[in-house]
Amino acid sequence: MNANTVCRRIRAGMLPLLAGALALLPGSTPADSPATATPAKKVEARPEASIVSFEMLATNHMVVRAKINDKGPFALIFDVGAPITLLSNRAAEDSGVVKASTPRSFLFAMRGEAEVETLKVGGLTAKNVPVIVLDHPLLKAMGQMLGRRLDGIMGYTFFARYRTTIDYQSRTMTFEPVETKVRNLMKDLPDRLAGPRVAKHRVLAPGGLWGLSVGEAEGGLDARGIPVRSVLTDSPAALAGLKPGDILTTIDGRWTTTIADAYAAASGVAVGRAAPVVVLRDGHELTLTVRPSEGF
Amino acid sequence: MNRRLWRLGLVLVLAALAPAPEVARDPTIGKSYQVPYRLTDTNHFLVRVRVNGKGPFNFLVDTGAPALYISTDTAKKIGLEPAKNSFWTPVDRLEFEGGARLEHIKARVEDPFQLIGMNALGLPGASIDGILGFTILARFRLELDPTRDRMTWTRLDYEPKEPPVPDRAEGDGPPAEMGAMNLLGPLAKFAARVVGKQPEEQLHPRGFFGLELSEEGGEIRVSRVLADSPAAKAGVRSGDRLLRLHNRDLASLKGAREIVAEVKPGDRVPLVLGRGAEKLDLTLTTGEGF
Repeated sequence: MNANTVCRRIRAGMLPLLAGALALLPGSTPADSPATATPAKKVEARPEASIVSFEMLATNHMVVRAKINDKGPFALIFDVGAPITLLSNRAAEDSGVVKASTPRSFLFAMRGEAEVETLKVGGLTAKNVPVIVLDHPLLKAMGQMLGRRLDGIMGYTFFARYRTTIDYQSRTMTFEPVETKVRNLMKDLPDRLAGPRVAKHRVLAPGGLWGLSVGEAEGGLDARGIPVRSVLTDSPAALAGLKPGDILTTIDGRWTTTIADAYAAASGVAVGRAAPVVVLRDGHELTLTVRPSEGF
Repeated sequence: MNRRLWRLGLVLVLAALAPAPEVARDPTIGKSYQVPYRLTDTNHFLVRVRVNGKGPFNFLVDTGAPALYISTDTAKKIGLEPAKNSFWTPVDRLEFEGGARLEHIKARVEDPFQLIGMNALGLPGASIDGILGFTILARFRLELDPTRDRMTWTRLDYEPKEPPVPDRAEGDGPPAEMGAMNLLGPLAKFAARVVGKQPEEQLHPRGFFGLELSEEGGEIRVSRVLADSPAAKAGVRSGDRLLRLHNRDLASLKGAREIVAEVKPGDRVPLVLGRGAEKLDLTLTTGEGF
């Protein structure tokens, strides 16, 4: 086994911890409950949407109560920064996700990947949710600090199935199912880790014809945008009122601080759609409207 | 040990009891913003933020973090001096892509091990410069729709307080398991040095032609050639029919767009045009722009 193989193994092993560790940061216990401030506001649910209320921990984390394979409820931290869903060994065993006899690794008693058949929160049931089973040290430390059991973390593999709305003020989340492909980090990333260190290349194709060219920004981190180098006569850009020398700061609500930014923003504007464009001209901010035409 | 680690200092409890200064109501309350995001290769949601007018930087949207974290590197770049006598460093303003902004915010200048590890390996495919946690996110109603390329943030009439400072007394080390986690950062850095970092995706602008096109009866017609454009220089005229592009027959405008999607500025692109009864072979050198 050469050094590369060893390192790849180290990296593959670290993955669930870095990712799984997610961006869960323990924080500290506040003197008073953080969300005492304001009365709950009503959230209007769309049809088919499920409203789930959550509890705010003293550490500023959201906790939802979930039934896993009809067992529980379990207290799960809802974490938009977590790319995976994670269960403690105890919760995984109690819900039958893993058998008590499943071997554990010595590190964090990890049992690796498993699948939850049903995960119920409020009136919502998610089926076949991939989970990682391990006793996460941060979760354990937080549980000890708060004097209660925390059974896991609900992350991307759960919430990416829904249009998710989080309202801290009313302490509710709304989940509305959407058709989308949910990526599985634990499946995709090891392949990439083992693959060559070659950058992916992508050409950014604008959605329509604008008729302008742009240059790179000057001023580093202070730059507000990129200079318009040229505007072709009678082009959609010219008709909108764009001029060479304008500093282009926003296309269609997206910042343009690099040439690539401008192309990426233009790629989202279809032919004929009116796109707001913000420029700085003589120190003043102007909002213009460009309708790209068909062509390239 | 854990209790001691996060125990509140008496001074902080007293500080929390002090009356809060009058804060003017934020005029953006009730407003909604469309916030573009990027989903990284590691399934993290990044949004772009300017800190004190400088940037933009990539911040992780993380309800699992209690506050706003700015990496030490980012703080250095923008000249934000970490507060010496306080856990929090004041930030004058945060501007979010999409238009939302917040003023007079407190940030923690720190490098959580998760960020060090992921950035060292280049796993996310983009650098992560900081973390937007509870104290930022709770000011908005957040709508995250994986089928759209933007989140919707609606400013709530709610000002969350910073969590109190963890009290780290002298000799009070973190629990052993936390210590092990903290080793992940350096370990990832080491692994990255040996095997190499996953490089960031390279983005290229598409090449520019200057052709305005229309489709009628299965034919692609040049409805206009923009003046001084690469197409004009190559000799394309309005009224020409576009028959072949890059040595491929054209069946539809959609097909033409697909062929062109991979063309870079400066590429030489062979074209076959129909002009009246004539067939013309031209070579167009694409330019910069769109």
